[in-house]
Amino acid sequence: MKRSRRSNSPLPPRPLRLLGGTGVAAAIAGLVVLVLWSIAAAASAEPAAARTPVDVRHLLAMTTIQAGLTTVLSLLVGTALAWALNRLRFPGRDLAVGLFASAIVTPGIVVAFGLLAVWGRSGWVNAAWQALFGAPLDVPIFGLGGILAAHVLLDGAFAARVLLGRLDAIPMARLKTGQSLALTPWTRFAVLDWPAIRGSLPGLAAIIFLLAFTSFPIVLLLGGGPANQTLEVAIYSAVRLDFDLNAAVLLALVQIGACSLVVLAAAGFGHVPASLGPVRQQRWSDRGWAQLAQWVVLGLGVLGFALPLAAILVDGFGTGLGALLQRPTFWRSAAASLVIASLSAALTLLLALALGLGRAASANPVFRTGIGVPSYAYLATPAVVLALGIFLFVRNSGISPDAAAPVVVVIANALLALPFAVATLGPPLDAIALSRGRVIRSLALGGWRQFSDVEWPLVGRDAGLVVALAFCFSLGDLGVIALFGTQDFATLPLLMVRSLGAYRTNDAAAIAAIMLSLTILAFVAIPRLFGAIAHARA
Amino acid sequence: MVTFARFALAALLGLAALPAGAEEVPILRIYAYDSFASEWGPGPALKAGFEKQCTCVVEFTTTEDAISTLRKVQLEGQASRADIVLGLDTAIAGEARATGLFAPHGLDLSGLALPAPWTDPDFVPFDYGYFAYVYNKEKLPNPPRSFEDLIALPASFKIVIQDPRSSTPGLGNVLWVRAAYGDRAPEIWRGLKPHILTVTRGWSEAYGLFLDGEADMVLSYTTSPVYHAVAEGDHRFAFAPFEEGHLAQVEVAGILKGSQKPELARQFLAYLTSVDAQKVIPTTNWMYPVIDLGPDLPPEFGEQPKPQKLLSIPESDITAMSRTWIDEALQALQ
Repeated sequence: MKRSRRSNSPLPPRPLRLLGGTGVAAAIAGLVVLVLWSIAAAASAEPAAARTPVDVRHLLAMTTIQAGLTTVLSLLVGTALAWALNRLRFPGRDLAVGLFASAIVTPGIVVAFGLLAVWGRSGWVNAAWQALFGAPLDVPIFGLGGILAAHVLLDGAFAARVLLGRLDAIPMARLKTGQSLALTPWTRFAVLDWPAIRGSLPGLAAIIFLLAFTSFPIVLLLGGGPANQTLEVAIYSAVRLDFDLNAAVLLALVQIGACSLVVLAAAGFGHVPASLGPVRQQRWSDRGWAQLAQWVVLGLGVLGFALPLAAILVDGFGTGLGALLQRPTFWRSAAASLVIASLSAALTLLLALALGLGRAASANPVFRTGIGVPSYAYLATPAVVLALGIFLFVRNSGISPDAAAPVVVVIANALLALPFAVATLGPPLDAIALSRGRVIRSLALGGWRQFSDVEWPLVGRDAGLVVALAFCFSLGDLGVIALFGTQDFATLPLLMVRSLGAYRTNDAAAIAAIMLSLTILAFVAIPRLFGAIAHARA
Repeated sequence: MVTFARFALAALLGLAALPAGAEEVPILRIYAYDSFASEWGPGPALKAGFEKQCTCVVEFTTTEDAISTLRKVQLEGQASRADIVLGLDTAIAGEARATGLFAPHGLDLSGLALPAPWTDPDFVPFDYGYFAYVYNKEKLPNPPRSFEDLIALPASFKIVIQDPRSSTPGLGNVLWVRAAYGDRAPEIWRGLKPHILTVTRGWSEAYGLFLDGEADMVLSYTTSPVYHAVAEGDHRFAFAPFEEGHLAQVEVAGILKGSQKPELARQFLAYLTSVDAQKVIPTTNWMYPVIDLGPDLPPEFGEQPKPQKLLSIPESDITAMSRTWIDEALQALQ
């Protein structure tokens, strides 16, 4: 009975992959439990603080609206941009693609300041407007609009980068058929593009929703006042100001619960098989209105996305750079950042492959969800709670925080990038399992051969994107390092925050510009490198 | 599961946990906020200065901000390895005292020059400043002279402040308004609302917005313009003296009861108020020294006179009421 059902499944049996995926998922879920448990244990030792209750329902409603709008807008913008970039060829296209992906991994505050440098009261747009028309242009950049703009800037461009990967991987044969049928641009999108990107949308939506839901500094910076808040702010306040750890754990559970609902809903969309081919130079441009629309979308995209990032570069490579490069602390922090980023990128790729391969090896929806959901844990857990829990755990274990700091930072950064990695690698791995599972079964390929001969050549470029993402996330993330507070171990983002706190805005701007340049470079170079390696072996 | 995880983590770290008490040279462990101990802060110079006279090693452990320093020792309780907590301020001194974690300093501080005579038995002050709104003299020739003056300006006049829940000056602002206006505070906050460009998480975001020209004034310290004058030779900035008076922020340090080296800790606190240490603080922490430095204080500190009228709130009121006042302010700004 069991045997016959197995043979009906197109998937080859891969017990090791199932085990690996389950192990990674369980370890991550265990970490979150451990973090919350550490705090709850510490809380029971503290007297309960008397404090005004937080209006959780109101906060939840507001946060959900903001995050929902961010998600819808980001996906719309991302799809449009990916569509335009897939069709158009122009000099500097690779740079544009790298630039778009780099927004999400740049520290949010840096991007927000970039946005203000373009659209703010003293920004470029206003200056140009004033010069042309003699009156200030009042762009409402503070308030919900500003929050959404900054979030779409971060997340929409990332969505575009991931979706572009799916569009670029549409098999040549399908494109040739489509071309010979002379599909209209619209039918082409509906028949060829949409099935290719559909599978990636739920995962992307979940990530973007979670990022917006837990956003903190951007919401306060651009929110225009306490009317715009997130649950994360309340949790931070419970830990820092009220020192009410019980409330912090409860609020964290509310946030994790709300985020889990969203992740489960996204998982409920199931996996959509997308056809997948190796990325080759494909050349089939649309004509007429569609091409015009693509150039307009691209133009707006460059204006909207590239200008704020350009502002960061212009600001940073101005006056502050020379002085910064003379500082030994800068080089030490840069070296620490690069090492940590490389290690966490490698760890992310390993974890994501374990989860992705494990999930693709099963057709059971409950199992697949169970493996997929914990990868979002880091995004859903409030940063301050995570940092506090890890700090308590390390301390209770009797390990010196100085020694733990680098290890914790590598793990934390890898977990931060994991949902992005799973969202990038998961859909193509699923597609391979479904479309080539029977062939693999009939050829009786072993698990390793299946990976090295079939899967790796097809996902190598995506793996490169994952490594680039994880590398850059780690490069730009402040995360838990601030909590460990050791003077000898600093990363570039920590150095940036320190400079800002010491009035040294020029240094901070220069560090931001250097991080952004490294990021863009990583996004252009690493996927190419991986693509080249994967193809050389194919 | 937990035991296993502990074991695994310990193994992973190469059993990095060192046995305590095996120090050849005594280590004085100081918890401080990050910018104090950073390379631009007073930390490195104070460490070097004290190590010259003590045959000990000074070790800073840092947190994001002062209040987190307190939270850290609260979490660690009696087991904390810290000897000194440095950087607590007026707004949280009462709460820190109430934890019972701090021991009396036993120093004679009658010679200090502070806004008010210093009688605190537990905490030793090491610098102070006043919360104030900072502006650019070229762009704003006539700054408002009071909160009410500010409220009367057109709504296009923008200020940027910090969230009292996440920022020290943000909380100081709430206390300041309360000290100046008492029960009228909510009315003042409602009046300020149209002028508030945004309420940032920390001081540096707010100050960045101001420097970028997004706002006309920023909540900071009376000493902020001195930074630009001394470090950048830029004399365009000033603080706006407010007629209702200013609230001082005194930064203090305290010895933990659990310290194994109370005598060494006391010596450090005595050093902290000495001329040698106080000379370091004005141009690294950008606050006023707590003793009269005479010609050793850079003249830029005197460019603008210190506020004349001073406000204060009893510590017990701050401890009991600050959360209510924060909620009151946030409510008025909704």
